[in-house]
Amino acid sequence: MDKKVKVIPCSGIGKVYGLIAREAALKTVFDLLPEKSETMCLAYIVTGDKEAKEKIEGFDCITVDGCPKMCASKNVSLAGGNVIEEVKVLDTVKEHKGKKFGSPTQLDADGELVMDEIAAKIAKKINELN
Amino acid sequence: MVENFAILPCNGLDKCAGVISRELAVKLCENAKNEIICPVFYRVSELKYNRIAGEHPLLVIDGCQTRCASKLAAEKNLKITRKLTVTEEAKTHKIQLKRDLKIQENENALIEIILNELNKTEDKITQTSIETNHSFHFEYETFQYGKFIFRVPKNPQIYFNENDCWAFIIGNRARLGVTDFVQQNLSDILYFTPPDIGAEIEQFGEVGDIESSKSVFELISPVSGKVVTINKELVQKPEMINENPYEKGWMAEIELTDFESDKELLIGFEKYFEIMKRKVEDLNG
Repeated sequence: MDKKVKVIPCSGIGKVYGLIAREAALKTVFDLLPEKSETMCLAYIVTGDKEAKEKIEGFDCITVDGCPKMCASKNVSLAGGNVIEEVKVLDTVKEHKGKKFGSPTQLDADGELVMDEIAAKIAKKINELN
Repeated sequence: MVENFAILPCNGLDKCAGVISRELAVKLCENAKNEIICPVFYRVSELKYNRIAGEHPLLVIDGCQTRCASKLAAEKNLKITRKLTVTEEAKTHKIQLKRDLKIQENENALIEIILNELNKTEDKITQTSIETNHSFHFEYETFQYGKFIFRVPKNPQIYFNENDCWAFIIGNRARLGVTDFVQQNLSDILYFTPPDIGAEIEQFGEVGDIESSKSVFELISPVSGKVVTINKELVQKPEMINENPYEKGWMAEIELTDFESDKELLIGFEKYFEIMKRKVEDLNG
């Protein structure tokens, strides 16, 4: 059985916080912990497709949301995923008050910094599980 | 060129083609007046996106043959004006996409080709937006509670509703926004979602929203009419509402349809100032 933790960002399109969520998830699964984590496409999960449901139902998931609407967390739970951690980009953003993070397509240096911090938090959580 | 479209990308994260669909959508919105429909949030906020999809021609961008975006459009009974699938475009243009989710040379080349093809067409829809750059300055009455200072403009042309929204009447138009009470309560405003230009708004109907890390606040229009322009700067800099919600932080302008009638349900500076004071005290009491 696949033991990799699924790190699933919100679809967050058009806003920089969504981009941070997405990039942090990708950094975790491709650069930091490729052997322990993988991602899944939220837009696919919400289609309700049988195959998508099978891939997520009962699996440990960490969701990464860019805004308080919490699309990733809500939809992963609805699809049967076991959400073990809800990561909120804004919680980290708040620690960097007054900084600019970039645009919906490109992170600035501070955006990269926040993204790295979030990725590190996710990786720490995954390592604690193992 | 593709302008004034609603764009529904699959926004995928499983394959590079999905990442390209997202990149295309964002670029189309960066360079022209188009609106993105988020395929995930659409399932949560149907009302908002139904309106966008209903008022604009729709471009659907699927990444792969799973066609998540097309399926969503079909589920929602949306009329598709144009559709493309990234993997098919790659095949047509003989571009090999990598399995990697990072956009590299080949993927960028495909994005450029698709954007060029889309921009060659003439699907531009006439906009009813009228740009305005007028800025206004008001005199204020202030109310201090602890460290917080609440300002209310004293201009007799500014009307309020009890939902803490204001309308500044300029001829047959009204400029709209929220009051200091709202911005102080929300704290740092992170997003401004403007109304659609051309949208017909009833008095007390929703005309955009703002969001902070605390909550979302819907602007309740004090007046009825048609949205003719929005404060575009606010989309990039919503913090301007925190700086001054009455001047730089205005949100939209409406062409009035029946102000004489709307006015009967609105209040002026003096009454609103008293209401606001009570609200502040109740909230902190």
